[in-house]
Amino acid sequence: MAGSRLERVGSVFSRTRDLMRAGVLKEKPVWFDIYEAFPPLREPVYRRPRLRYGKAKASIQDIFYQEDQIRAKFFSAYGSGQKAFDLFNPKFKSICQRFVEKYMELQNLGETDEEKLFVETGKALLAEGVILRRVREARTVNVGPQASSEGKQPQEEEARAQQEPKTALSPP
Amino acid sequence: MAPAPALLTPLLCAGVRRWPGFLQKAALGPAGQNGRMVTGAPAPAVSEPQDSYELQSRILNVPLQHSDFFNVKELFSVKSLFEARVHLGHKAGCRHRFMEPYIFGNRLGQDIIDLDQTALNLQQALNFTAHVAYRKGIILFVSRNRQFSYLIENTARDCGEYAHTRYFKGGLLTNAQLLFGPTVRLPDLIIFLHTLNNVFEPHVAVRDAAKMNIPTVGIVDTNCNPCLITYPVPGNDDSPQAIQLFCQLFQTTINRAKEKRRQMEALHRLQSRDSEGSATSSAPDKSHSP
Repeated sequence: MAGSRLERVGSVFSRTRDLMRAGVLKEKPVWFDIYEAFPPLREPVYRRPRLRYGKAKASIQDIFYQEDQIRAKFFSAYGSGQKAFDLFNPKFKSICQRFVEKYMELQNLGETDEEKLFVETGKALLAEGVILRRVREARTVNVGPQASSEGKQPQEEEARAQQEPKTALSPP
Repeated sequence: MAPAPALLTPLLCAGVRRWPGFLQKAALGPAGQNGRMVTGAPAPAVSEPQDSYELQSRILNVPLQHSDFFNVKELFSVKSLFEARVHLGHKAGCRHRFMEPYIFGNRLGQDIIDLDQTALNLQQALNFTAHVAYRKGIILFVSRNRQFSYLIENTARDCGEYAHTRYFKGGLLTNAQLLFGPTVRLPDLIIFLHTLNNVFEPHVAVRDAAKMNIPTVGIVDTNCNPCLITYPVPGNDDSPQAIQLFCQLFQTTINRAKEKRRQMEALHRLQSRDSEGSATSSAPDKSHSP
């Protein structure tokens, strides 16, 4: 039975087609017509995995949202939420998420000052019954050499977060 | 009766679950030396020879003319993929270079797979699987992830196909003639639910299937190499929900395709009987050619 075991030469289809054209492969395989009618988006040809050298970087964008700035402030002020995240429930809303939504609502109503908005949102959530406990710990907010995945935004957020706690605690 | 498929000797018995209930693939038909089946195999001596030509054109070629004959698009949506957490990839450090086109972005270190591309690729993969099952091809599910081996074996049993979720011995595909016997029929499609083995290297079967000219469908995560897989489906292969969704999709398509085949054969049989009936009433002995 004729076959071609050269998996690095072409694709499965090209090898089978050429074997049939040469007359070496007498019977058409079951999948041949189907592949001809519905070829894949990329022909499955072998490619040698090459490493990237020097400054070449992958062109994958970071995913950041406007709400991430609000989330960063929330977490630096209140620490990780009092309510545990329930990941099994797809419609779960954490305290942080409610905070963000309330913040966006108040922002749409016309407020512009961020400090005020922050305080207002805290008050609004308190009115709804959510208790937010402020966290005052020794935080070493290091804007260190993070991986290239971080864009400019988190550094701005860090800088702003550094300004907020007025009582500057010395790092250990 | 429809032409019987080629002889199906106990295939892949080393480490593969055989489900006797589904192994009754009709009587022994004329098999090639090697056991490979042909589309439109030579019909058994009983039925009319014209039948095989009709069979070829009507049953086998008609589905290829529709873009989505088995309507696999309705089985899933981008939303259902999202809810099954198919978009979650590994961390940026694990990323394989050839998966970059399929990645939407990176959220706080974790790669997010582009579900629009996944949907396209999945539709192609399911369509191909359905057509192979329609043409009575043998499908083999391969995975080396122990967490899902029970699920995958059950899936394979429920759709009447085969699974291999154990240690993959060296020459299983490349040296099958020696391991199983001279007339063995290799799978016509291999579906990988996990492309990597337990040491995070590409599964041997990926390369071996390419060597033996067997097309493959595979779920490729962000740390996998999609080059040699014929119809890669970029998606999460670690979450139970994602794997359950994929198993369910493959099972449904294969069952659907087989059902369709039975319907088409029955339809064809009825039509040929009607045409025979009308032929014999008008002009006797036209259809029974030697």
